[in-house]
Amino acid sequence: MGIRLYQEPHLENPILVASWPGIGNIGIIAVDTLRGMLEAEEFGEIEPWDFFYPKRAVIHKGVLEYLEFPDNKFYFKVIQGKELLFFVGEEQPTEGGRVYAEGKKACHMTELVLDVAEKFKCRRIYTSGAAVALTHHTTKPRFWAVPNSESLISEIREYGNTVLMSDIEGRGGHGNITGLNGLLLGVAKKRGFEAICLMGEIPVYLRGLPLYYPKASKSVLEALSHSLKIEVNLDQLDELDQRVQRRIEEFYQQIPLAIRGQLDKLKHVTYDKPAGPGPITEEEKKRIMEDVERFFKKRGEGG
Amino acid sequence: MSKEYPVKIHKELELRQSSLVLGWGEDLGNLGGKVTDCLNRKLKGQEFAEIEPDDFFSLGGVTIEDNLAQFPESKFYVCSERDLVVFRSNSPGAGWCKFLNSILDVAEHHCQVEELYIIGAMISFSAHTAPRQLFTVVNLAEIKEVLNQYDLVRDMDYQTPPGEKPTLNSFLLWIAKGRNIPGVILGVPIPFYLAAMEDPQAQKKVLSFLNERLDLKIDFSDVDQEIREQNEQLTRARSLFPEIDDYINRLESNLTLSEEENGELIKKIEEFLREEG
Repeated sequence: MGIRLYQEPHLENPILVASWPGIGNIGIIAVDTLRGMLEAEEFGEIEPWDFFYPKRAVIHKGVLEYLEFPDNKFYFKVIQGKELLFFVGEEQPTEGGRVYAEGKKACHMTELVLDVAEKFKCRRIYTSGAAVALTHHTTKPRFWAVPNSESLISEIREYGNTVLMSDIEGRGGHGNITGLNGLLLGVAKKRGFEAICLMGEIPVYLRGLPLYYPKASKSVLEALSHSLKIEVNLDQLDELDQRVQRRIEEFYQQIPLAIRGQLDKLKHVTYDKPAGPGPITEEEKKRIMEDVERFFKKRGEGG
Repeated sequence: MSKEYPVKIHKELELRQSSLVLGWGEDLGNLGGKVTDCLNRKLKGQEFAEIEPDDFFSLGGVTIEDNLAQFPESKFYVCSERDLVVFRSNSPGAGWCKFLNSILDVAEHHCQVEELYIIGAMISFSAHTAPRQLFTVVNLAEIKEVLNQYDLVRDMDYQTPPGEKPTLNSFLLWIAKGRNIPGVILGVPIPFYLAAMEDPQAQKKVLSFLNERLDLKIDFSDVDQEIREQNEQLTRARSLFPEIDDYINRLESNLTLSEEENGELIKKIEEFLREEG
């Protein structure tokens, strides 16, 4: 069980951008779009068979020709003097029926990703995912940024459209990032890499739906573009976003009017610490959460 | 045995070469369990090794079947007179690659296994009165050649449909291929209304092939008796319940039942066979 490198690009001090699927596939869409846009070249993979169950078998004339596993691939690109490594995992290695990776397998996979980062002397690692927030699908999502080192906070504040945990009222700077997008941040800290996790906001009422949320991927990509100082064309994500927004709107119209009325108030939420009385009260936020939970519970029961 | 693989060897064997037959306890129609039990019973299989369950099964409690508490078992048996090794196990719920490699570690390093036969049932939407067929999937061309002389369906084309996963048998066959161990999946389609019960006809189909291929000299009289008894029970069910007869008649005429009718036939047959004991 290990890493297979097809070639060893000569790199001095690259930045690694890694992502796995998660809520709304926000992080992985952002990272994979950037990778595709830059035409980064595949140079290695993590051997999958100890981490994953196969996803497809092909039998031809009675002979098992091959078994396909989820991809876990490394790519590289040198652009405008900047060296980038990408890691894109098609699945999180889960155990015991859990949704997100945790435990031995998850730690092993993060260690392998970081082994490659170390081999190529990476100076910085980015991961990305989703932040479930009291926002509305018609407003521009911000991204929550969590660094693994104090020294990165001032840099993050310059990105714009950013939320730090301490900006969110009631959290006291605390929170958690589930799965590998979070775990990598912690293991990176242990191994002495500086790392930042960028999480695009997804409205709380969309978190359980089997939908992509490219609107938030755009926010993550903008942050990456700013941080890496690379210009990116967002047209592709805009198109995808328009298609998904139409589906979200269809779903939204099915929500009972009374709950929708509450959710509409989220258009005016400033989720971070308000300077004065905000347009939505804490009482209203609480009621929205209760209504949303009740609606989805009822919907689930109804099949 | 490498420390990495959690296998307990109770007795070292002195086999110069052998074949391994493998069956899972949760197979449709209990095919894998029944065939491996039958081989062990008739060929005096002796347990000699087992895979420890901790890494592969959820051990948060026990399941209860037929009033009895169950615990996952993954055991190897040797039928020394026939150079045959039998592996009977529950299907692991995690750590599949490690589990399957553990099986092949025992097969290679302790039993000198040269051929692997993996039993697997599939669902069939035909009536129980249709003859059972034996489908094979192999991992190496050389073993396909060897199978030419038997009455088998050998040229199947298949791709896992979207939203589904390959079987554990395919995973094992693929790992065996990586180790250059010739392997065959022996798959028998079982009538859908017998999938949760037992299908002695399917058992006999697999056993007959193994008997011929591995020269096991098995006496099938008890299996034949079970087939006769089940056929009689199903005939009785048809005569007592016209709707069962109608559904089975339609299946025999190659007609398809609706999903609801399939469900009803399954329910009625299972109830009837359970009552009959």
